[in-house]
Amino acid sequence: METYSRRWFLGAAGATTLASAVGLTACGSSGGSGSSGTLTAFVYGDDAVKVQVKSVNRFNASAAAKKAGGKIKLEKVPGADYPAKLRTAMGSPNAPDIFFNWGGGSIKAYKDAGQLLDLTDILTSDSALKDGFLPSVISAGGLSGHNYGVPMRGMQPVILFYNKTLFAEHKLTAPTTWDQLLDINAKLKKAKITPFALGGKDIWPELMWLEYLTDRIGGPAVFDKIKNGDTSGWGDPAVLKAAQTVKQLIDDGAFGKGFSSVAYTNGGAPAVFAKGKAAMHLMGSWEYSTQLGKFPDFAKKDLGWCAFPTVEGGAGDIRNVVGNPTNYWSVNAHTGNKDAAIAFLRDSASKTYASELVANGDIPTTSNAEALLDKSPNPEFAKFQYQMVQQAPSFTLSWDQAVDPDVSTPMLTEINKLFVGQSTPEQFVSAVKGLK
Amino acid sequence: MSSTPVTGKGSARQGGARAGRPHAAWVLPGVLFFTFFAVAPMALAVYLSFTKWNGLGDPQPVGLDNWRRLLSDDRLIQSLTITVLLTVVSWAFQTVVSLLLGVWAAGRQRNRAILSAIFFVPFLLSSTAIALLFYALLDPNFGIIRQDTLGSTKGAFLAIVFVGGWQFIPFHTLIYQGGARQIPEVLYQAAAIDGAGRYRQFFSITLPQLRNTATTSSVLMIVGSLTYFETVLILTQGGPGTDTAILPYLMYEAGFKSYDFGYASAIATFLVVAATALSLLLVRLTGFGSMRSTREGM
Amino acid sequence: MSHDTLPRPVKAAEPDRPAAPARRRRHWTRRANPLAGLGSLIWLAIVIIPIYAMISASLTSQDQALGHNALKPPTHPTLDNYNTVLHNGFGHFLWNTVLVAAAVVALVLVLCVPLAYVAVRTRTFWSGAAFRLFLLGIAIPAQAVVVPLYLMIAKLNLYDSLLAVILPTAAFAMPVSVLILTGTLRDISEELYEAMALDGASPTRMLFQLVIPMTKGGISTVVVYSALQAWNGFLFPLIFTQSDGPRVLTLGLFNYVSQFGVNIPALLASVVLSGIPIFAVYLVARRSLVGGLMGVGGK
Repeated sequence: METYSRRWFLGAAGATTLASAVGLTACGSSGGSGSSGTLTAFVYGDDAVKVQVKSVNRFNASAAAKKAGGKIKLEKVPGADYPAKLRTAMGSPNAPDIFFNWGGGSIKAYKDAGQLLDLTDILTSDSALKDGFLPSVISAGGLSGHNYGVPMRGMQPVILFYNKTLFAEHKLTAPTTWDQLLDINAKLKKAKITPFALGGKDIWPELMWLEYLTDRIGGPAVFDKIKNGDTSGWGDPAVLKAAQTVKQLIDDGAFGKGFSSVAYTNGGAPAVFAKGKAAMHLMGSWEYSTQLGKFPDFAKKDLGWCAFPTVEGGAGDIRNVVGNPTNYWSVNAHTGNKDAAIAFLRDSASKTYASELVANGDIPTTSNAEALLDKSPNPEFAKFQYQMVQQAPSFTLSWDQAVDPDVSTPMLTEINKLFVGQSTPEQFVSAVKGLK
Repeated sequence: MSSTPVTGKGSARQGGARAGRPHAAWVLPGVLFFTFFAVAPMALAVYLSFTKWNGLGDPQPVGLDNWRRLLSDDRLIQSLTITVLLTVVSWAFQTVVSLLLGVWAAGRQRNRAILSAIFFVPFLLSSTAIALLFYALLDPNFGIIRQDTLGSTKGAFLAIVFVGGWQFIPFHTLIYQGGARQIPEVLYQAAAIDGAGRYRQFFSITLPQLRNTATTSSVLMIVGSLTYFETVLILTQGGPGTDTAILPYLMYEAGFKSYDFGYASAIATFLVVAATALSLLLVRLTGFGSMRSTREGM
Repeated sequence: MSHDTLPRPVKAAEPDRPAAPARRRRHWTRRANPLAGLGSLIWLAIVIIPIYAMISASLTSQDQALGHNALKPPTHPTLDNYNTVLHNGFGHFLWNTVLVAAAVVALVLVLCVPLAYVAVRTRTFWSGAAFRLFLLGIAIPAQAVVVPLYLMIAKLNLYDSLLAVILPTAAFAMPVSVLILTGTLRDISEELYEAMALDGASPTRMLFQLVIPMTKGGISTVVVYSALQAWNGFLFPLIFTQSDGPRVLTLGLFNYVSQFGVNIPALLASVVLSGIPIFAVYLVARRSLVGGLMGVGGK
């Protein structure tokens, strides 16, 4: 880019003069590379963000903030757009100092570009952080043995939620095998209830079905192989069988007719579920806090949950979990005030923070979490979730987070084509085999 | 700035002293500004199409990789087909409705004036607002039309055509209205004497006389249909599957979802080449350019 | 207007002016036409129903809207949704859009009027080349340059500022504006320039005392056109801004989708609110707005 630098410089000079003359320069974030006074933190702006809002307020008023000489400004980035906004901001001089992420594949590009602060040493030396979290969760967010993230939200296993009241009305019990599930579907359809809510417009809720089915049919080894870069792993018969099973569900009307224009992120699918239009919803554990925020009565009275059923003849254990371990705060390597950033991260390890997560219906990944669960708005759900993760023989990271974005975007497109009937299970398999 | 009238070298060629000729350097600010913010980025897009760049750090040259991939990408053909189809269907829909409404609205009756004023209202909303309006109205569970409109290929396509028409027909009606009002009265009087009825007058006078208006309006529509990006982004996100992924959306997806900005730039370059070719073709076919540039005299 | 347009040069537009006296006899356009009347009523329904449904739903509470047929008037109208929208930054976004529109219009006028003046009056190789540059520029769709523009804006340290929206929006409004202005400028007769030259007027004085007053029609078209570009602009704000500070209205509306989700009434209230300011302009200045737009299309 050498050839352009002079023009950019000239342009920069001109534009900056113009900017200061008109008074319209960036009024937003102060940027990772510059001033030390205020640090910007990007967070995914959903219902759970209130925990981070409190954390920031608490930190800004604390002695630690004064000592480090920095305050945090929280930037709530609207959900569906978050990854793209983070990328464009990180490529600009207005990059955030601290940012929410999913660990793994979601931060690899930033690590490769030298934009991530290596937190390995701090996480092993700082007592508050070191003893604060479950070691497995910290390492799950790392890359090749180094840690770049501090856990800041709850565990996020994918769970099969169901409407207890509807189930009781139709004399149904939560399924543990695929045949039971098909039986439930048939009964619900007879009663004119859509078996499953599905936010197909976002595509990643569709992905959850393939993730679990692949695990239950072929075991966790199938995706492990793919994740490690062996695209022939897509050729495993379990992937095809999972795709065929999905196809049968769709043809059978298990998701109703309109699922591909329903979104999760705008609250469509949760509303369909909460209003009793659909009886079950396969979703990450955050569904609980979403429902608690949007339809509190439903969350308290009607919401039931269970593990994804086994598939007859399949290799996967019913205790295997797919989902995200949690979300993380990472720190921009170019931040102007590392001390303040790290001091802020310490708040995520505090008991107050963990209690607030619990109060929001989340299960913190802190080492003291189990003791706090009784304070959860729903201790029963909290304990179920905690044990689910704790006892899981395997925890498969969401596929779209485990692989690079330039693979995950076309992968999601292929999944969507399978769900809307534009490709057959066989075509799906041959298409994803071609992704690299 | 000079305080005396400029009588520069241009005057000899024009054959006579012409006053009020500003110095050619007056174009500089505008030209530089436009070059910097529109032409240079275009050149930069061409350059980026030969690089790999994920938005972080500096672009790395990769030669023809992106272009090889683009030309063998099935989605390019699909996207091109959708873009052309969307353009043609939108053009037909908007032209027929705007022509009829425009000619009708050219009448001076009071009721027509009032209705015309109402017809114009959709154009006041931004494309984003209109896309949101129909997004809300078409929500399968909580909207007004509770069907899976956007989940089916045909439904999604027609929704985009309809929403585009809903927004832009008011504008094109206005153009046809202006055109129809300029048709000389005598033509109709002559036809009436010959005993031509209303519909024969429409086909033998109104339509031929609106040829130039139709050309202007069509060019605006066709070039404008490339900008249905917002509608696609908000209503369908290119779906179901990839069935409404027009070229600009394909580029957006490659750039801002896969962070493959090199590949996105290859699509963008292709888009510009296609748009330029389309404009030139239109100019050829319609004589639009000669109408204009004979008067530019350059 | 998000059309990237190729208009013809424009003469003064005259919408809805009463028929000239000479045509006072029964003009053909004054005859009733029942079939066309029916067609226009159908189109009226197509225009009105979505607008009506929008306003009606925006006055319904969310709980009621879920089970309610929006084509029936709301049983318990409420302004709560408008309140929600107004408490979520709407005014701020609107103000940003107004700033952007004003700056874009000012930039376009300042840059394009001298350009068109030179293109029409001073025929040198360079002014011709400049004019051709703008003719070609019409073919560049704004979407095609977002990636390189993003790179430039990031390097210029303009990311996430209003200027990041204003500058490229103005640049992309220029080609059409230059064409419109050259079209109007050409109608100024040579004699007028000569008369001013006899008074010893400089080109600068001619610009202010002759060119600008005589091209009011074209200038108002350019004002309407470039203001609409700013008003409609979506892609540039989407990519070049991020935070609340420089968020413009279109992007604010777009973000309400994730924020309000299936709170359809609030979402629709935001759409209604976004239309009110420009609807007010339309009511007050319908003639010049419509006239300006007719100018974009040529006549």
